[in-house]
Amino acid sequence: MDLLTHFWTWLCGFFVITPAWMTAGAWLAAGLTIFLFSFLYKDNPFFKAAEHLYLGAGMGWLLQVSFYSVLVPKVWEPLMKHEWLVLVPSLLGLSLLTQFIPKISWISRYGFTFLMGYGAGLAIPVGLSTDFISQISGTVQPLSMMASMTPWMIFNAFLVAFGVICVLFYFFFSVEHKGHMQKVSNIGIYFLMIYFGAAFGNTVMARFSLLYGRFDQLYTFSSSKYLYATQFIVIGMVVYFAIHAFFTRGGKEPEAAR
Amino acid sequence: MIKNQFGFVLFSVLFAAINVSAAKPSQAVKKQTPAGAIPPIENLTFADMPYDVGGTALLKWDVRPTDNPDVMYQIYVSSLETGGWIKADEFPADTRTGKDIELPFWAWNASVKEHVVKVELPNYFGEARTTGPVFNFKVVTIKDKKSFDSGIVSGKTASNWFRLDRLNNLLLLVTIITVFFWAVSHAKRKGLFIRRIAGLDAIDEALGRATEMGKPVYYVPGIGGMSGISTIASTFILGEVSKKVAQYDTQIKVPHYDPIVMTVCKEVVKQSFLEAGRPDSYRDDINQFISQDQFSYAASVDGMISREKPAAIFFMGYFMAESLLLAEVGATSGAIQIAGTDQESQLPFFFTACDYTLIGEELYAAGAYLSKEPMLMSALKVQDFGKLVVMVSVFFGIILVAVGARLHWDPFVQVILNLFGAY
Repeated sequence: MDLLTHFWTWLCGFFVITPAWMTAGAWLAAGLTIFLFSFLYKDNPFFKAAEHLYLGAGMGWLLQVSFYSVLVPKVWEPLMKHEWLVLVPSLLGLSLLTQFIPKISWISRYGFTFLMGYGAGLAIPVGLSTDFISQISGTVQPLSMMASMTPWMIFNAFLVAFGVICVLFYFFFSVEHKGHMQKVSNIGIYFLMIYFGAAFGNTVMARFSLLYGRFDQLYTFSSSKYLYATQFIVIGMVVYFAIHAFFTRGGKEPEAAR
Repeated sequence: MIKNQFGFVLFSVLFAAINVSAAKPSQAVKKQTPAGAIPPIENLTFADMPYDVGGTALLKWDVRPTDNPDVMYQIYVSSLETGGWIKADEFPADTRTGKDIELPFWAWNASVKEHVVKVELPNYFGEARTTGPVFNFKVVTIKDKKSFDSGIVSGKTASNWFRLDRLNNLLLLVTIITVFFWAVSHAKRKGLFIRRIAGLDAIDEALGRATEMGKPVYYVPGIGGMSGISTIASTFILGEVSKKVAQYDTQIKVPHYDPIVMTVCKEVVKQSFLEAGRPDSYRDDINQFISQDQFSYAASVDGMISREKPAAIFFMGYFMAESLLLAEVGATSGAIQIAGTDQESQLPFFFTACDYTLIGEELYAAGAYLSKEPMLMSALKVQDFGKLVVMVSVFFGIILVAVGARLHWDPFVQVILNLFGAY
């Protein structure tokens, strides 16, 4: 008994966050970040290790999320309260799993049919409202305040309406785009490209902010507090690539698996 | 005696009549409001908010000559029989008329002659307790720090089955369904025309290249679920691509994010191999489940692409931030890449990294164009009809609204805006 108690105390103490654990965490975080970035140079065993770890960790995380956020609160707990109605969606969900047993895989059609019907019923009215009617009202409405609009605002409202018509025409598949139709369609493309350019810049800026976050963390982990994790890992990888290049010099990379 | 009695009665009647006639002016004086005071609201009524899910009450009373910005109205609500008043709203007396209720002209009489105030009960009593029980309401008029209570009105709110305010949505839906059935019938009898989609010509080129190089084709259906339109369109394109892959006797790999999409794609690919007369070439591992975590999926597919160096990669479906991660690795590996998504935020990345890109609805059209299925062709025709409706409505709508607003025809402008109200 004493041994068990000692073991339990040791185990609890083992997981207490200490500076040593923090340093180990920093090495792990810096290592995995640099391993994934190393793909920018070329595919290598470090990237593969990080890739597989990421895949496994991602799946493990999702499994526990599905269990604790879906299965337990939405199925198990209602059943414990004798709310039997929850059995209907549960059985429909379980029917999807019959795909794995060919003899009874037809049962999964009930689940799929319900999914499709539910999805269509939910999507069609909303799509109609947002894609059609809101599109029209959103374009037309600004001009209802024409009396108080400046000439520039009026021009802007008409330009938006013109753009909407031209872009929609580009996606009109029932007529061949020739002659004047082609011109309208081309104007639509220009509007689209202006939008895509703006969206590209916006998204790239957002991605850069993510990159800064990683660099900031790598910088933090390069301090003496974390035993120069970033520097050691980078130097280690550079040495690996140099040695690898030296030994495979003149030789070809192994052919990709088919 | 009788004469005396008669005389007494006559005197009494006359005295009473004199008193009554004398009292009338004095009662009238009593009813008159003192200078600076405002009479309390007398015709306050309760109504359930029409065409809603319940929980919203409407209080109505007539607009009065005394309504001006100096006078304030306060709305009180209580769930108890006596007391328990909660202040729900406060506003100047010259605001909040029937015109401010956001319902279209066919579902609501937007009168400016009465005050109409919405009280959303879930804000004060929670969602579960507001539809069914009776609530009490009163309106307090405030002027110069003096308050005058109205009478108390009671009522309960109810959920409505039919939303008359969305009648325009219903009519459009019915029209579109009618057009769809017409299109299906027409497509089966005579066929329907769809213009050539440039990006699709590259599919044969990409598959031919893969066959010549003896390298696999990757088909990435994105991270969307099976209910997504782009994913559904992607499965149709996958069907056509895998049919050609089977005909050319090359290899295809389909890495999946969603297990349900994978199940559907398995059936699609199997069917395509069968239709191509090559059921023996079909393998179950053509469709592989990777991960349902977005970036794990991207990292893994990147790894597969960089190791196997496929000759052609298709990115068709729903993509988010992983789009560039995937497309850039594919471009680096030297594959010919054809992409298509309806996620406009990701399209720029596909433009920069892929050889051909199907923009938005071109993805939907591609499935119909390739398969020539009457049902898909009809769906595309209905979409075209919808676009035509939007184009024509926008064109005439801006002209009518601009002219109406310029000439101050407010009711006319309101009617047009109501017609295009999504609600």
